[in-house]
Amino acid sequence: MKMTTRVAFENMKYHRSKNILIGIAVALTTFLLFVIPAVGNGMIQTQYAATNRVYPTWHALFRNVDERTAEKLAAHYDVAEHGLRCDLGMMKLEHTEVSMINMDESGAKLYKVSLLNGHFPEKEDEIVVSKGILDALGQTGEIGDTITVPYQVYRDGALDYMQERPFKICGFLEDNDSNRELDKYMSLISMDLIEREIPADQIAYRFLFQIRDLNVKTTDGVEAVIKNLAVQFGIRENNMNINEDYLSANYVDPSFIPAIGFVMLIVVIAGIITIYSIYYVSMNQRIQELGRLGAIGATRRQMKQIVLREGLCVAVIAVPVGLLLGTFVSRFVLLGLFRYANVEHNSEYLEVLRDVITNGEVCLCLPWIYALAAAISLGTVYVSLAKPMRLAAKLSQTEAIRFREAAKRRKSARKGYHDLTIGRLTGRNLSDNKKKSAVTIFSMAATGMLLMIVATIVSCANPRESADNSILGQYAVAPVIEEGNREHPEREWSSIQKNNPMTEQLRKEIEQLDGVERVDVSSSVMVKDGMFGEDFQMIGGIPEEYAGELEEGIREGKATYEELKAGDKIIIDRTLRHWYPELEVGKKLTLSVCDGDETYEKEFEIAAIGEYSHALMQYRYILTAKEAADRLCKTDCTEFFHIYANQDYDPALEQSLKELIAPTGTLQMGTWKSEYEEWKSVMVVMSIGCYAFLGILAVISVMNLVNTMINSVYTRKKELGMMQAIGMSDRQLLRMLQMEGLFYTLGTLLLSVGLGSLIGYPIYVYARTQGLFQIRNYHYPFAAAIIVSVALIVIQLVLALVIARSVRRDPIIERIRFSE
Amino acid sequence: MSANMILKVENLVKYYGSGENLVRAVDHTNLEIERGKFTAIVGRSGSGKSTLLHLIGGLDRPDEGKVWIEEQDIFSLKDDQLAEFRRKKIGFIFQDYNLIPSLNVWENIVLPLGLDNRKADRKEVLFLLEKIGMSDKKNAMPNVLSGGQKQRTAIARALAARPAIILADEPTGNLDSQTELEVVSLMKSCVKDFGQTLVMITHDETIAQMADRIVEIEDGKIFKAQGGGRSSKAVIE
Repeated sequence: MKMTTRVAFENMKYHRSKNILIGIAVALTTFLLFVIPAVGNGMIQTQYAATNRVYPTWHALFRNVDERTAEKLAAHYDVAEHGLRCDLGMMKLEHTEVSMINMDESGAKLYKVSLLNGHFPEKEDEIVVSKGILDALGQTGEIGDTITVPYQVYRDGALDYMQERPFKICGFLEDNDSNRELDKYMSLISMDLIEREIPADQIAYRFLFQIRDLNVKTTDGVEAVIKNLAVQFGIRENNMNINEDYLSANYVDPSFIPAIGFVMLIVVIAGIITIYSIYYVSMNQRIQELGRLGAIGATRRQMKQIVLREGLCVAVIAVPVGLLLGTFVSRFVLLGLFRYANVEHNSEYLEVLRDVITNGEVCLCLPWIYALAAAISLGTVYVSLAKPMRLAAKLSQTEAIRFREAAKRRKSARKGYHDLTIGRLTGRNLSDNKKKSAVTIFSMAATGMLLMIVATIVSCANPRESADNSILGQYAVAPVIEEGNREHPEREWSSIQKNNPMTEQLRKEIEQLDGVERVDVSSSVMVKDGMFGEDFQMIGGIPEEYAGELEEGIREGKATYEELKAGDKIIIDRTLRHWYPELEVGKKLTLSVCDGDETYEKEFEIAAIGEYSHALMQYRYILTAKEAADRLCKTDCTEFFHIYANQDYDPALEQSLKELIAPTGTLQMGTWKSEYEEWKSVMVVMSIGCYAFLGILAVISVMNLVNTMINSVYTRKKELGMMQAIGMSDRQLLRMLQMEGLFYTLGTLLLSVGLGSLIGYPIYVYARTQGLFQIRNYHYPFAAAIIVSVALIVIQLVLALVIARSVRRDPIIERIRFSE
Repeated sequence: MSANMILKVENLVKYYGSGENLVRAVDHTNLEIERGKFTAIVGRSGSGKSTLLHLIGGLDRPDEGKVWIEEQDIFSLKDDQLAEFRRKKIGFIFQDYNLIPSLNVWENIVLPLGLDNRKADRKEVLFLLEKIGMSDKKNAMPNVLSGGQKQRTAIARALAARPAIILADEPTGNLDSQTELEVVSLMKSCVKDFGQTLVMITHDETIAQMADRIVEIEDGKIFKAQGGGRSSKAVIE
């Protein structure tokens, strides 16, 4: 072994405890540097793989396209693959929705529809069904058998009356979990049947296509091409559907790379700061060591080699440990994330996701991730080692041997205290090591600050509150409204209004139920306007109980609840303005008000534009006072009972409510509990991920505190022994160390909790405006602040105790003799 | 222990290592020291004189034997009690001064008082500073002081708490001969002025001759004790 390597190796063993500390910090940093891109990339790749398996492969579809336009589109240069789909209508079944559609072969390919057996329907009476459909129909049959199907055809923009006819089964489709779970199926019929059932001028196709993929690499690029096509063929935005899931699975989302990059950057910075500061606090000692080596004749190159090799020896052990740990953990993390994330996707998709991970279809541990993590860690260690080397190179050997970082700036005289106390002694030591203290505090605070910022978001994204923002009270009862289904004319809002089951009687009965505290009533008025096209909008009549909320939500303009009562003024929610930017404060709108079968026109003035919770709006983007809304109609326009109960969830009450509304047959109920459960599972994933990440960062920075304190004692071993010789008791020593630690802790806390809280607020504002997790209210993350504070204080007190004990192990005289 | 004796060492033993490497640093030593006297302990390097001094000062615990200072068996005290006893009763002066680098001269001097939760008497400290000739250096930091100045500061520190006994471990070892004499004279006059007892280790014959009594040590044992023409109390084994 070369002498330099030998010395480096012996040095490493000699400074064992410090090197173990550095090793842990390096291993953890490497671990994070590996896990973050591995899981981030793995998550995306898994979703891509699953999406490619499940989702249709068309890039976009244009609805309501006539035959001529479809032909022209197919011939367009930008269109590569294309297919057609045409909808006949729906089967008429009690609980199951079965659409009846026709697809050409390329359309079927783009939809990933393939037959289990048989062929696509060609003749008027041929049909492709599935086992699930047959079960729903209560019939059986094989290929060639005849079944009777009751169905409704889309005519004049609505579902027409039910009709029935026999069909011959010509093929079978396979059912998947989501079909069974949602009771939604698809059957295929021939174009001949559509041509027979729907007048030629009403036949509308869906044109599905993939764009010609030449230089387009990003989702934004693909979307631009699609939108350009839509403009050329006069296809309105609401008739265009872009297959974003599929696109983002196959094209790079330009916003993704910076996000992962940002998280990596945080880890790199935290890692560099920690590793660097661990080396930095023992700088004196290292420079002295180098000086000694120089004095006995080591060349600069040899000195450099010794220091570098010692550091790299540690890194060479620690980096693989981190990588290995990361390799094992990332797969679990990924599986765990998808396990908890089950609300976002249906179970079939989730199944595919798990399948993709367990089959190892997506490689989580890519060589570039290993290389990246190792390179950053080693680079950090190198940078941290280079500093004492550079400093040592500037000094002569004797200067180096005597080197004391603080000595450079130590004053020749200083006005001192008249009397000394333990506190003042501590203060003196800390102020003498300002830079060292600052580096430690700053690096610990950086993590603490991140923790507080994330905690702010997590505490604002409170599932309780998100649920509160989704529903008023604990239960909401409302009629089932469906426009344009001729089979269910009773579900049209106009019919409901004329015979509204939301009666005062029902309200009273609900109020009588055990556990119900009050029932608020809000009403809705349907309005139409040329601007909204065929769509209608609802005006929400907000009860006076929410006058405050209504007024507080205003972002532009001015309106009081009293003014709204008059009936001529309305408030528009930002969401509606987003779609119709021409809606401005002060603008007058003439809307057609639908009152049962009658319609009349009325002018409204937009008094204000506001921002409201979903709970208050319930998809009604125009708001006014309930009194005013009620006056707009002669019929009963009550739409919601917002039921406030004395408990968040009471199964008995829920059952009573269900029983109460069941006889009407037209009412449905939403519960706070189900909203809460849904938000909770979303947030569990998010908070587990965030806190695990931050937890590891926190461990890294605690290493830093441990190192700083050990070093601070180690380098002052003689000084402390001296103080003990002249009478400092063990208790006083412990108190001094604790005060020192407390200073670091308080400094860290002040910065992390203080600055973290300050920075957390603008981040909350951003999350709110982006509508993240239904965040609407700011919550100071008290729990996190308290946990961070208590944890730091406890760690530091224990640390002081352990260090003081280890100092006491040597007799005082050993310590006095000790020289660095 | 007679009333005039401030220190009594009885059958003190301290060995280091074992087997072939056994070092008998202090080997069944007995010693008594009279109040208000200046005793010099001399011996060659490695004779065990420093270990003896450290044991007397309670900086280390012996394997056997006892040390009484002012009727107090110091090793019967717990660590914290011993520390308290040290700061009240014993003043230390070391060869390499051992001033606290982050404290100025004044603070170094009042440190033992601070540790004892006592307020420094301004007049007294100023008097001490004057006595050691460093009145104009009270705000100076140790790194700008000469060796002699540092040792004088250390002497003032040892005196500040008015201890019963001052233990000095080769206090002039790092000083040139001129300064050496100055420092020893200062120590001697302080001991006289403040009526304190001084036990000093030295290997310098000239310095030893300034003492009231000389104790010679060899291989951890008291080899010879002489001084002031009086008969030695040390037991020669």
